[in-house]
Amino acid sequence: MVEQIVAAILTMVLGVAGCAFYFIGSNWLLDRIFPFKQGDSAVAARNQLITAAIRPWLFLGPAMIALFIYLVYPVFDSLRLSLFDRTGGEFVGLSNYIWMINDGEFRQSMFNNMLWLIFVPSLSTFFGLIIAALTDRVWWGNIAKSMIFMPMAISFIGASVIWKFIYDFRGEGDAQIGLLNAVVIFLGGSPEAWITLDFWNNFYLMVILIWIQTGFAMVILSAALRGIPEETIEAAVIDGANGVQIFFKIMIPQIWGTIAVVWTTITILVLKVFDIVLAMTNGQWNSQVLANLMFDWMFRGGGDFGRGAAIAVVIMVLVIPIMVWNIRRANAEMEGR
Amino acid sequence: MKQSLLRGIAAMALLGGTMTATAAVSADLVFPVGEDSKFNWASYEEFANKYDLSGQSLTVFGPFTGDESALIENVAAYFAAATGATVAYAGSDSFEQQIVIDTQAGSAANIAAFPQPGLAADLASKGLLTALPDGMDQWVVDNYAAGQSWVDLGTYANQNGQDEFYGFFYKVDLKSLVWYSPDNFEDAGYEIPESLEELKALTDQIVADGETPWCIGLGSGAATGWPATDWVEEMMLRTQPPSLYDSWVSNETPFTDERIVAAIEEFGAFALNEDYVDGGVVSVGSTDFRDSPKGLFTSPPKCYMHRQASFIPAFFPEGTELGVDVDFFYFPAYESKDLGKPVLGAGVLYAITNPSPAANAFMDFLTTPIAHELWMAQGGFLTPYKEANVEAYASDALRGQGEILLNATTFRFDASDLMPGKIGAGSFWTGMVDYVGGKPATEVAAEIQATWDALK
Amino acid sequence: MFAASSSRSPLTWAVHASVIFLVVIWTLPTFGLFISSIRDKDQLAISGWWTSLTTTEQNRVIRAPGPDAQVEQNGRFVISGDVLEGGPGTVTAFGFSSREPTKYQPGDIAILRSGAELTVEEDGAFSISSAEPIEGRRGQRVFFSAETPPRFTLENYRNVLTSEGVLQSFVNSMTVAVPATIIPILIAAFAAYALAWMKFPGRALLIATVVGLLVVPLQMSLIPLLKMYNGVGAFFGVPAKTYLGIWLAHTGFGLPLAIYLLRNYIAGLPKELMESARVDGASDFDIFVKIVLPLSFPALASFAIFQFLWTWNDLLVAMVFLGNGDDQLVLTGRLRELLGSRGGNWEILTASAFVTMIVPLIVFFSLQRFLVRGLLAGSVKGG
Repeated sequence: MVEQIVAAILTMVLGVAGCAFYFIGSNWLLDRIFPFKQGDSAVAARNQLITAAIRPWLFLGPAMIALFIYLVYPVFDSLRLSLFDRTGGEFVGLSNYIWMINDGEFRQSMFNNMLWLIFVPSLSTFFGLIIAALTDRVWWGNIAKSMIFMPMAISFIGASVIWKFIYDFRGEGDAQIGLLNAVVIFLGGSPEAWITLDFWNNFYLMVILIWIQTGFAMVILSAALRGIPEETIEAAVIDGANGVQIFFKIMIPQIWGTIAVVWTTITILVLKVFDIVLAMTNGQWNSQVLANLMFDWMFRGGGDFGRGAAIAVVIMVLVIPIMVWNIRRANAEMEGR
Repeated sequence: MKQSLLRGIAAMALLGGTMTATAAVSADLVFPVGEDSKFNWASYEEFANKYDLSGQSLTVFGPFTGDESALIENVAAYFAAATGATVAYAGSDSFEQQIVIDTQAGSAANIAAFPQPGLAADLASKGLLTALPDGMDQWVVDNYAAGQSWVDLGTYANQNGQDEFYGFFYKVDLKSLVWYSPDNFEDAGYEIPESLEELKALTDQIVADGETPWCIGLGSGAATGWPATDWVEEMMLRTQPPSLYDSWVSNETPFTDERIVAAIEEFGAFALNEDYVDGGVVSVGSTDFRDSPKGLFTSPPKCYMHRQASFIPAFFPEGTELGVDVDFFYFPAYESKDLGKPVLGAGVLYAITNPSPAANAFMDFLTTPIAHELWMAQGGFLTPYKEANVEAYASDALRGQGEILLNATTFRFDASDLMPGKIGAGSFWTGMVDYVGGKPATEVAAEIQATWDALK
Repeated sequence: MFAASSSRSPLTWAVHASVIFLVVIWTLPTFGLFISSIRDKDQLAISGWWTSLTTTEQNRVIRAPGPDAQVEQNGRFVISGDVLEGGPGTVTAFGFSSREPTKYQPGDIAILRSGAELTVEEDGAFSISSAEPIEGRRGQRVFFSAETPPRFTLENYRNVLTSEGVLQSFVNSMTVAVPATIIPILIAAFAAYALAWMKFPGRALLIATVVGLLVVPLQMSLIPLLKMYNGVGAFFGVPAKTYLGIWLAHTGFGLPLAIYLLRNYIAGLPKELMESARVDGASDFDIFVKIVLPLSFPALASFAIFQFLWTWNDLLVAMVFLGNGDDQLVLTGRLRELLGSRGGNWEILTASAFVTMIVPLIVFFSLQRFLVRGLLAGSVKGG
């Protein structure tokens, strides 16, 4: 174990040194080959132009290579693989997609993913907004915020353990150790194995993600709420509007853009959610979602890269509208600068 | 021998840097070499003299986790001591997924222990397994009881479609067992049933006494549902001739066949009866199979019987003594149906996933009687190897299981392990979970069949 | 703000009450996990953590020593012992049959089927006595019900750290997370500066690409990358699953956010700074190293926190790009393994889960300010 730590530290130092070496070395080399600080002014001016043209690419080089290898190329390769058979050897046209449409589990996953897409972003944003508005009104709001924000730091798998413990089920008559069943019994109900309840189990799993993401929504919306110009609120107060009216009629419209950002960010996360379903149900009891289904087809029972890739492509397609919207927004922002 | 042991330790010390990280198999040998005469130490010495693998290392990947992993590590320690090689064992609860990731990545361990021949066959067809040296298949035919059937289970088509022999079984599990507490049976005055009719009558009697007869739990992390497939297979063997079982495994008889649906419903007669199972039907799907048998040992008992394979004592509460606190009986067949005494079993098949001289040597090691006896003596291990000394079995219980194996008129391998991975380790499991969740057997069967059709 | 809360209108109280309510709801799950992880494992298995301060009533069963242990006392054959086996607690009832495990009160004399007399005292002492020598192979089972006082312990932690491999996984997680945090920062900072302050053709397109890549699902990359890693591994004869491989993978996946975040921040630095430096003859490299990097510290820190939390908490990338052996299994992977193999052992699960959470929680609480700033920079206009 000690060796491993030493090795890790060594590689870390080497890696950092390597990166530094690349940047320093390549810039030094560039300045050497095309000197522009002394000598013939015409040559210097020309050299300065050349270095100015080359230097950005030295800066960008490693990042571009990494982005290409790890994100750009895989997108196209996944598209290609989705048209091939399970080992990637034989071209099979659209048959993976045709299989997908006819597969009950895929349709179930699509349906569940839609539920996730509707409820998780909306409820996280809703709670985030409410909590942001409320905590801004109490003097200990920052402490409250930090407690609600905390689940952000917990891994999905850790959160799954936490909630699995809450949903734990013991047969009727035994003392429950799961909080939810204990509460249900206290209220006079009978215990349930929550995560096995068809359809509703989706919601019990969603709660975990909402629990994690509300803090994120809260932090951002809280900042946005504080950014609202005082004058607009004062004007409304003078017009005799009450607190609720101010909140919904004056404040919400002004932070509409931020709400959209929060919403889309969580939407993307939802499409990728995998750990929670894997740990809680592994897709049993009709709780499968696309990301976990993809993992399943990739690796379980021999693996099928074609079908796995086809499911990945579906996830990608669902993301594209958000991608386009994001790029437009970023462009508009840059022009506004 | 002593020298090679020293060499092994030296090699390990040298390699300490890399080895401390993995679950390095230590040189602690649980049974001192040469001491107990029930072990075939001659075969150990012979093996030790044959190989010198000092400085080489071997990785083994298998499905054994927790306490079970210590057992295989203990056996591997003898291999390490005999050859001087270092051995590291890694176990995973999601073996089925991980082995695929690993072999695809070309970074698999040298040896993999497959609980599912179907999965091994799948990997072999992709060229990810290495065939065993010639003659190994003949060795199995000659030395295993019902040898040919074991060879058949380890022979698969390679990526060119040619049959080759890839692995053999080391550690067999007997499935057709019902576990119970003799004291509890005595307290209540119950007798061990001799037929399935009697078993059902006993079940009803326990209910009539105001108690719960069965503990059934299907939970198993990513593999949730598999215990139910065992139930269905037992019911297949008890209601239909073995030939139908075989054609079911190969899908010549589809899942939707009414005789197979009937077998699923036979399982349902136990698992879906609110009075029969501890915690009610809802708890069947969600209770972990490792927790489920603990109901036998609580005060008062939550249940009186638990049907599970021979490996389950590993998960009994600490200090549980086999034959005293708990015992087993053969899961009986219908007296009214003339199907003899069918026995369902399973096993772990060892195959080479990453060839090396040490890997071949390890496979050779598994053909020595001592390799079998060492695990027999630790418990949780049955073997069809005729040369292994039955005296080495850790307990009377294991010997008793050996007898059940011998008395069987029909022996069949766990069907779900023989079906394609996506069925036997996928939709069959999911289907059973759905069935216990309330979906009709016909619908479940239709869905499994649909997945199977999509694979063709 | 303080003024608003000091006005004691009912509405203010309602706000306070609802915030308290929400905070409790949000923290209760984690709190419950923590409490459970320090409870005695036997108590944890049979009672909810909210009862952890009260005594627990447990039904237990022990097997008395067999006939070998009998001694002759005053003409009777006696087997004696302690049902509590030295542990704390009070016996409230006992019995000898699984059918009536709590039939007798402490001190009562129960007549066994063999005719022997069994008695259990409140403090756990029991004795079986018989006029005839006691026979049989097995020891008599004694059922009893005992109240045990609450017990908190660090045993669960010691257990998971030593025997469940959690400590090793902790080191593995560190090995993954630290380099996977530092490498992308370096690479991204240079790229961000280029995208913010250098002029070259295609800059707008590149920025748009980075924004687009921000949302590409990781799932898209898995299969092609796995195939590529295999190819590279096979070509060079090295394992395909190495720490280097996962560092680079995390670098690639983290870069879009890193570049986007840092570019936003660096682009917001005052233009005059760069220009005056340039007039003084400083090259872009000098400007970057001497002016931009020090000024960007807050943005670098916030990205570092993000990336650290993400790599530490990641399961998917680790499952695909790292092995399953003890030397490579990270904490999240270990926790998933334990969920499978220790499904019902909540003392192990809760303690392990808490170990996995400790580092991110420390990072979170100590550096929250930077995290919030990073979130805002990444999501809201401007830096």
